[in-house]
Amino acid sequence: MEFELVIIGGGPAGLMAALTAAEKGVKTAIVEESFALGGQLRQQAQVLENLPKEFGKQSGIALAKFFSNKVSSIGVTALLGHTMIGTYRNGTIGVSNGKDTFPIYAKKILVTTGAAEQAALFPGWTLPGVMTIGAAQILLNRERVLPGKEAVVLGCNSISYDIAKQLRACGVNVQGIIEKKSIDEIDKELIEKFESENIEVFFHSNIEKAAGKQHVEKVWIDNDVLKKEREIDLVCISNGLYPVTEPLELLDCEFTYIENLGGRIPKYGSSFTTSNSSVYVAGNAAGITCIEGILVTASIAVTGILEDLAILNNIEAKKQKEILWTELLKAETGRYSKVHDARISLVNDFLPKEI
Amino acid sequence: MYINDHPLLESEFLEEITFFYEGKQLIAKSGQTVAAALMGNGIKVFGVSRKLQQPRGVFCANGRCCSCFVTIDGLDHTLSCMTRIEEGMQVFFNGGDPVVGRGGSGI
Ligand SMILES: Cc1cc2nc3c(=O)[nH]c(=O)nc-3n(C[C@H](O)[C@H](O)[C@H](O)COP(=O)(O)OP(=O)(O)OC[C@H]3O[C@@H](n4cnc5c(N)ncnc54)[C@H](O)[C@@H]3O)c2cc1C
Ligand code: FES
Repeated sequence: MEFELVIIGGGPAGLMAALTAAEKGVKTAIVEESFALGGQLRQQAQVLENLPKEFGKQSGIALAKFFSNKVSSIGVTALLGHTMIGTYRNGTIGVSNGKDTFPIYAKKILVTTGAAEQAALFPGWTLPGVMTIGAAQILLNRERVLPGKEAVVLGCNSISYDIAKQLRACGVNVQGIIEKKSIDEIDKELIEKFESENIEVFFHSNIEKAAGKQHVEKVWIDNDVLKKEREIDLVCISNGLYPVTEPLELLDCEFTYIENLGGRIPKYGSSFTTSNSSVYVAGNAAGITCIEGILVTASIAVTGILEDLAILNNIEAKKQKEILWTELLKAETGRYSKVHDARISLVNDFLPKEI
Repeated sequence: MYINDHPLLESEFLEEITFFYEGKQLIAKSGQTVAAALMGNGIKVFGVSRKLQQPRGVFCANGRCCSCFVTIDGLDHTLSCMTRIEEGMQVFFNGGDPVVGRGGSGI
């Protein structure tokens, strides 16, 4: 198989990029490990408020459907159930569907493998019934299966707010949110949101341990003053995300560690090119950001790719990138300004290898 | 428990399919993963850990943590959260390490 552009990962970043590239006539393929396009949008029932104008306000689930329909109607090849698992000696990527492994030749590769959820460790964290908050959301909204009936959530953040509300709407009793930080370290607006929903947050608290014979039945909440035992059958961990980068490692991209971008990430320049000049990165794989940031980074990477493929000339590409970087700055203000600052210094430090 | 009337999502008509867990016939909705089909039938413990034989089930639901292994149609250590349930599928509890050998006899 041969394509001009191969995109690894069919989440919002990969789909946005595929659409733009295909509209410009680039022969594009998406390699997607799971059996559907949409990535982690597929279970996000909450309305995404700050999408770029052309998308309006819609839920993540609706946006995933919109993207997948559009992408298949525009002639992008979607290889579902296919994982990028390696590279051949000449740099061609190797893809497997579990039965066969084969090479795919690509002029340009864009890696949009997204993010994974961080675990949190306490005695009993491996018991069935203890899961990441995203897993609970997948069961609830993708699979339509109740993950439990009585829950506590570890971590007070915007994702746990959205999902705690969804759990409750489906009949799960959310007994409370357990947060290590003290009340003044958490965004006031977020605390008010939890309050207005009558979801109790225990600050300066932790899960001391969880226990149960076969699956979780009890947690002990250590909160300075009270060591409280609670009967539950679900513990959801909301402890942040880190970029998924295996394909970039396989493609020999150079890495660095930047806390504010979510940890170990590939080095990249202002077009999201990595140290391997045919490999680009975008979305949460390029640093954990908001959904607007995810879409805009994909647009920037595609602009760079179109320029490299000589479909856009340098002047046009430069103009577009300037507009898009302004949009990215706008998307990454407030809560995400540290992400943007870290991104800018990463880009400024980037020196492409001499060819 | 399967959520029939989801308060946040449009209702979908999903065909019911049958599968087997430890030989017992159960019902799932088409399109679900094996992990969800088991959870929907009240099964949370899918197997045990390799060394200490502690119970394991869904943790990430995303193919990343390897906590949800089961045996599917004879194939040990299959990720139940990344495999779609199919009519007549035979699913078994993951009781430990699979027997791996060159000769097919486990030696
Ligand atoms: C379980 C979970 C729940 C989340 N819930 C929320 C939420 O409620 N709100 C929120 O704001 N953010 C949430 N996030 C953050 C999420 O990362 C973003 O919302 C967004 O989906 C990221 O977009 P993306 O395109 O960068 O990556 P993703 O949407 O993660 O898409 C990446 C895609 O790449 C595929 N992939 C990965 N590796 C390979 C490979 N080697 N070969 C082929 N394909 C591969 C994956 O299967 C996936 O479909 C969640 C993340 C996770 C993991
Ligand atoms: S639950 Fe983590 S891999 Fe299946």
